[in-house]
Amino acid sequence: MEHMGIEPGRIHFSWVSSAESTKFVQVVNEVTEAVKALGPNNHFITKEAKVA
Amino acid sequence: MLGYIDKIRQISKGLIEDKKVDMIIGFKKGTMPMMNEPCLVKSPKDVEKLVWDSNCGINLANYLTDRKERIGIIAKGCDSRNIVTHIIENKIKREQLVIIGVPCTGMIDKHRLTSMFEGEIEQVTEQNGNITIKGEDFEEILKKNDVLQQNCSVCIHRNPVVYDELVSDLVEEQDVDRYEDVRKIEAMPSEKKWNYFDDLLSTCIRCYACRNACPLCYCPTCFVDESRPQWVGKSDDSIDIRTFHFLRAYHCAGRCTDCGACERACPVGINMRMFTRKLEKDCFEQYGWEAGLSLDERPPLDTYKPEDPDDFIK
Amino acid sequence: MKVIKIDKKDWVGGLEKSRSAYRLVGPFKENGKQFPVFKELDKGQEPDLTTLNTVISPKSIVFPQSEVMFEYTTDEKSEDCNLLKRPEKNYSPCAVIGIRPYDAAAFLLVQKNFDTPDYRDPYWCDAYEACTFIGMAINNPDNTDFSTSTKSGPFDESGLDVLLVDMKDHFLAKVITDKGDAYLKAAGWTAKVDTDAAIKQIDEMKNKAEVKIASKISFDNIEKKSIMELYEADFWEDVAFACINCGTCTYLCPTCWCFDIQDENHGKSGKRFKNWDGCMFPLFTHHSSGHNPRGIKVMRVRQRFMHKLKYFLDKYEDGIMCVGCGRCTRFCPVNIDIRNVCKLMNS
Ligand code: SF4
Ligand code: SF4
Ligand code: SF4
Ligand code: SF4
Repeated sequence: MEHMGIEPGRIHFSWVSSAESTKFVQVVNEVTEAVKALGPNNHFITKEAKVA
Repeated sequence: MLGYIDKIRQISKGLIEDKKVDMIIGFKKGTMPMMNEPCLVKSPKDVEKLVWDSNCGINLANYLTDRKERIGIIAKGCDSRNIVTHIIENKIKREQLVIIGVPCTGMIDKHRLTSMFEGEIEQVTEQNGNITIKGEDFEEILKKNDVLQQNCSVCIHRNPVVYDELVSDLVEEQDVDRYEDVRKIEAMPSEKKWNYFDDLLSTCIRCYACRNACPLCYCPTCFVDESRPQWVGKSDDSIDIRTFHFLRAYHCAGRCTDCGACERACPVGINMRMFTRKLEKDCFEQYGWEAGLSLDERPPLDTYKPEDPDDFIK
Repeated sequence: MKVIKIDKKDWVGGLEKSRSAYRLVGPFKENGKQFPVFKELDKGQEPDLTTLNTVISPKSIVFPQSEVMFEYTTDEKSEDCNLLKRPEKNYSPCAVIGIRPYDAAAFLLVQKNFDTPDYRDPYWCDAYEACTFIGMAINNPDNTDFSTSTKSGPFDESGLDVLLVDMKDHFLAKVITDKGDAYLKAAGWTAKVDTDAAIKQIDEMKNKAEVKIASKISFDNIEKKSIMELYEADFWEDVAFACINCGTCTYLCPTCWCFDIQDENHGKSGKRFKNWDGCMFPLFTHHSSGHNPRGIKVMRVRQRFMHKLKYFLDKYEDGIMCVGCGRCTRFCPVNIDIRNVCKLMNS
C-alpha cells in the first residue's frame, strides 16, 4: 500500500492477545494518534464513481 | 534460438508417435510480425506447424490449468517456473507432463519496437543476435539485446528449472541488477508514488488481458467479477481500476515469476508489472524466495518459519 | 456535390474558428503516452492526423465505456426524492475531426441496434446526432486493414459528413452532407475548386489506397450456409484454443455494442451506469440462477464470430458486423485473426 502512494503510518499491524487489554488500549491510542497526525486520507475514497 | 525448432519438432514428433503424450502445447506462426499463436498439436504431421523464435512471450503454463490429458509442453525459463507453481498449487500433475525445456535468450518487446518506428513494421527477422526490422520505406538492424522485453533483460532464470527434454545446451545466466526500477519508485515521496501509478493506469480499459494472460490468474471467479457480494465497482472509475490492479498483484505475491506475459498482452502497453515486481522484490529480500524454482519447497505465504521477518508487527 | 480546398496553413486557424459553434473532438496524444486517443480537444490542442489508426476506437465518443443513465436519491429532504433523473450532458454540436472512414461507418452498424423503430437508446442517439464527422481518408492503409472486403473502405463516405483527403500541402474536403457543409462554413473554409477535376483526383487516390489493401475476406458462403452448420463446425475448438477470453477484441472494436447495467449506491443516493461488456467474458451471460448458457470458452469465442459474421448478416441482410479496421487482430494478445476465422467459416 505504501509503495502505491499511501503515506507511511496509515497502516499498522499488531499482535494482541485477548488477554492483553492494556496493550490493546495502547495500540489503539498509538494508531489513532499516528493517523490523526497525518490528517484526512485523500486516496482510495470514492464518494461516487467518476466516469465520462 | 532459431535453431531450436528442428529439435523441438523432432522431440514433439517422437513423443506423439510413441504415445507418451496426447498433445503438445507450443506456438505456431502468427499472422503479424512479432506475434505467434499458442497452439495444440495432436498428430505427428502437425508438428511441422510448431515454431520457436523471439516472439513466444506468451506464457504457455496458462494453457495447462486443470487439463486432464498427458501433455508435452514447450517451456522457456519463466514458463517452467510457472509450471512448477501450477504443480505446487495442484493445477496440474507432474506425471501428466513432459516438459520440453528451451534455454531462452529473451523475447522481443513488441510494444517498444512498434513505438520506435513511425511507419508500420511489416517484417521482423532475427539472426545471430540481430533483429532486422522492415517497413515500406525503412529497414533497420538492431541488437536483439537492446530490444528485449524489460522482464527478459533482467531475467536471471533463462534456463528451464524443470525439464524432461532439452532442445539445446543451457545458456549462460545473466548477472543483473533486477530491481533498479522498483527502487526508483521506492525512493519517491508518497504523493509522487500515488501519481506515478495514476498515470501508469490512466489508459487502462479494463479488458483484463493482463489477468487472463497470467498463468496465476486461474480463479473460477475473479474477485472483480464476483457479484455476491460485489467487491469492486465495474465502471472506468480510476479507484476501481487501481483496486483491480493492486489486489491482483497481491494475489500474485510469492507466485509471480515476472514472465511478462501480462505486460505483453496489454493492448495499450501498460507496465502493470510495476505492481507485481515490488511484491516479488519483497519476497526475495525478506524471505529469500523466488517463485517456481523447486517442487519441494512451499511458498512463503503458506508456511511459517521462526526467522520470518516480523518487525512490521508492533 | 462540392469540393473545398483547405490550405494547410489555414487548418489550425479554421479549427479554432469553428470552436465558436462546435466542440472539437479528435485523436490526441498526451505527453508521454505512446498513442493518441479520441478526446475533446482543449483550446490550442490539435488533432493528431499522423497515426493511421487509434488503438482504441472512437466509439466512445457516442458510447462511453461508462455512462450514467440516471441518478436518484431516497433522501426525503431533497426535492428530487424518489425521482430518476437523467444527468445533464453536453449534446451541443460536436465536430469529430480526423475520424477514419471505417470507424465512422461502424456507427451506422451500431445504429441498427440503438436506433430502431421500436426502441431508441437516447444516450447513444443524442450523442450521435450531435456529431458532425469530418473524416480523414486513409492514403496508406495498414497491414491488418481489410475494409474493402466489408462494406467500408479507406475512402468510405457512408458514415461521414465531410471526407478530407491529404494532398500534401493542402486538404481536399469533399462535402457529403449539409451538416458537413455547415461545419466547413463555420471554420471559414470556403475555397471551392472545380468539382469534376477534384473528384477525379480523389478517386485516383482512392483507387491507389484500395489496391494497397492486400488482405481480403469473403463471406458469400457464410450467407448460404445454415446457422447450425456453422455452429456445429468442428473448427471452433481449434480457433478458441489460444484465446485467453480477455475483452481486448470487443473493447477495441468500433462495432461491438454490448453493455452491462450496474447500480452504484452511496448512502441515500446513487447512479445507474451503462458499462461496456463483451461476449468474451463469462460473467456476461451468467444468469442469477447460477446457470451460464455460454459457460465455456469455446462457446464465447464462437458467439463473437457467429454474431459478427453470421447472425448479423442474416438478421439485417446488409453485410457483416465488422468494418475491417483490423484492431481485434492487431491487438489480440495471442494473435487470433478474424480474417482466418472468416476464411474457415466461409470454406
Ligand atoms: S491488459 Fe492493459 S488495458 Fe487491459 S486491463 Fe490490463 S492493464 Fe488494463
Ligand atoms: S503477474 Fe504477469 S509477470 Fe507475474 S506471473 Fe502473471 S503474467 Fe507473469
Ligand atoms: S483479444 Fe484475442 S485472446 Fe482476447 S478475447 Fe479476443 S480473441 Fe480472445
Ligand atoms: S471485428 Fe475486428 S476488424 Fe471488424 S470492426 Fe471489429 S475490431 Fe475491426
